[in-house]
Amino acid sequence: MIKGDQEIKMRSLNTTKLLGIILGWSLLLTMSGLASAQSQDKDKVELKIQLPKPMFVGTPRNIKTPNLEPITGKPRGPFYVPAGTQLVSLNKPVTSSDRQPVIGELSYLTDGEKSGEDGYFVELGPGPQWVQIDLKEPYLIQAIVIWHYHSQARVYRDVVVQVSEDKDFINGVVTLFNNDHDNTLGLGAGRDREYIETYEGKLIDGRGTKARYVRLWSNGNTSNDMNHYVEVEVYGLPVK
Amino acid sequence: MEDSDKKDGFSRRDFLKTTAAGVGLAMTTGKLFGRPFLLTGAGQGRTVMPSDELRVALIGAGEQGRVLLDCCLRIPGIKIAALADIWEYSRNYASGYLNKYGQTPHVYEDYKQLLNSEKDLDAVIIATPDWVHAEQANACLNHGLPVYCEKEMSNSLDQARTMVETARRTGRLLQIGHQRRSNPRYIHAIDKLLHERQIIGRVMIGYAQWNRARAEMLSWPKKYTIPSEILHRYGYNSMEEFRNWRWFKKYGGGPIVDLGSHQIDLFSWAFKANPKSVVASGGIDYYPQREWYDNVMVIYEYDTPTGAARAFYQVQTTTSHGGFYETFMGDNGSLVISEVPQRGDWAYREAHAPDWAPLVREGLIRSEAPPIQKVQTKNVFVDVRVTAEAGRWPLPIELAKPAHQPHLENFFEAIRRGVPLNCPAELAYESAVAVLKVNEAVRNHAYLKFRAEDFKA
Repeated sequence: MIKGDQEIKMRSLNTTKLLGIILGWSLLLTMSGLASAQSQDKDKVELKIQLPKPMFVGTPRNIKTPNLEPITGKPRGPFYVPAGTQLVSLNKPVTSSDRQPVIGELSYLTDGEKSGEDGYFVELGPGPQWVQIDLKEPYLIQAIVIWHYHSQARVYRDVVVQVSEDKDFINGVVTLFNNDHDNTLGLGAGRDREYIETYEGKLIDGRGTKARYVRLWSNGNTSNDMNHYVEVEVYGLPVK
Repeated sequence: MEDSDKKDGFSRRDFLKTTAAGVGLAMTTGKLFGRPFLLTGAGQGRTVMPSDELRVALIGAGEQGRVLLDCCLRIPGIKIAALADIWEYSRNYASGYLNKYGQTPHVYEDYKQLLNSEKDLDAVIIATPDWVHAEQANACLNHGLPVYCEKEMSNSLDQARTMVETARRTGRLLQIGHQRRSNPRYIHAIDKLLHERQIIGRVMIGYAQWNRARAEMLSWPKKYTIPSEILHRYGYNSMEEFRNWRWFKKYGGGPIVDLGSHQIDLFSWAFKANPKSVVASGGIDYYPQREWYDNVMVIYEYDTPTGAARAFYQVQTTTSHGGFYETFMGDNGSLVISEVPQRGDWAYREAHAPDWAPLVREGLIRSEAPPIQKVQTKNVFVDVRVTAEAGRWPLPIELAKPAHQPHLENFFEAIRRGVPLNCPAELAYESAVAVLKVNEAVRNHAYLKFRAEDFKA
């Protein structure tokens, strides 16, 4: 019995040692991972985005839509990008599926003016429409910020953001955001959530994707059938 | 020009000619041979049959005008034939919007030119600043046209009264845009649940609020500035006042009128009575450059068919706390409703009230399990009446349309089929009397009484 007890104790001791070794290695690996992540973060800086005045006017709408992301009421947290990232879309040319917008001009997308009032947005016709920004040269895209229309709480349908080096978006198309959950646009069903427009705009991670062209789709909104853009900002790094 | 409406060799215009003898009768009774019948005479000269497309003009194509346009596009048989606005931006916006739906309205700067040029209209929608409602509505009515005019009728009761008088004299329809009056959710809540079934018992208290976050004055791109000679021609002192007319006394009635009139109107509907007194407090406390009170708190007193009742209303423009909703409190329960259902769409039952399960079976309300709540008392005595809050009983009606659409549909059905307007001028005038008195009460720090005749135009 005594021998047996000793054996059990020995086994317990060995098990404890083994667990200690495993835990030790795990801790070491975790620390090393954290250190690696921290060293990566050291190369990144917070993306500074100039936000417009918040404004909601008119009668609020009844927003009833599937797939809506939870409303937290909190400001968006910081978003980090590699040092040297710059706004690369300012005053760059814009084209669209709607050659005759309802009101406004396509140049508003990249003119740097983000006010939500009448006169500062371009409105495209009903149904699926796209706009496309030509950055004039390829960049490593880090972030895209979209303000569709922020003077009223509304949700734009089927928002898809793609980038490519092909102006016709036939080859090398990378989808960065897609909340077309039922594949209405035929670009593939997306898993991203629908969201309510605010003055903060919607920030989309560019993941460092190399591209010259940015194409944004939408398909009306919860207030009407139209598609609006106040501003789109593309942040990127020059390709070395 | 060929009459596109001509079918079987007989057009609407032919019909009008052959029924000219019926004009006097129809103008008097609103009906011809027992069927709804409307004549848009005095230069317009058209008879509208229930199946006819209605040719509608829009006066005022700004933010609210475009909301109404969008609703019209969703209603079958409505064609926007013309529009007018003094701002080129709004003209371009509205016409461009309509173009996308295959409609090509004639576009005017001046509504007078529109009325003089458009000879084949069936109705007019007015969505201009309050101070020109009376002039424009009266002109349209005098042209023989039915009018849907946005609320508030006017920022002047004298002007509002002329609208009632003109509608009465011309026999033309005048619907005012208190759109909750046509909202099936509100009709169910007030007419069915409060009045007919009296589920919350004797309603003694009303409470409503519309709170909005702080906001800057509206601006505009300089390239869209209206030349000063045009602004002055139409009575505006500056572009800033034109864009922000709601805050200036010349053009509007301030937040209590813009926002409050929708909800104060509901008090009278729910209580089946106009107020007998009002006391209010408010001030220009936050936006010194604006002329109207940026916050107002109001208490009305009512003599209702079931006894005395009171209502408290507040409008705030520096906080969005609580948003906007209306509550009616009775001795058997309460009802909370909002134009946006997420903010109010349910009833609460008092513990002693009759069982509501039969109402659920009838489909008048829905049942919702009461939320399970744990109360950390720390051995402190907690009255069960405090902790055992009743569960909510959601309302069963859903409106799957923009909020303004049913009210426009009611207007067009009144033209086509003679159904009663849900907010005719006389009713809206009563609401305007109650609402505009608030500004007077604030200004004079006074407790003001209404006389019954105050509500009669």
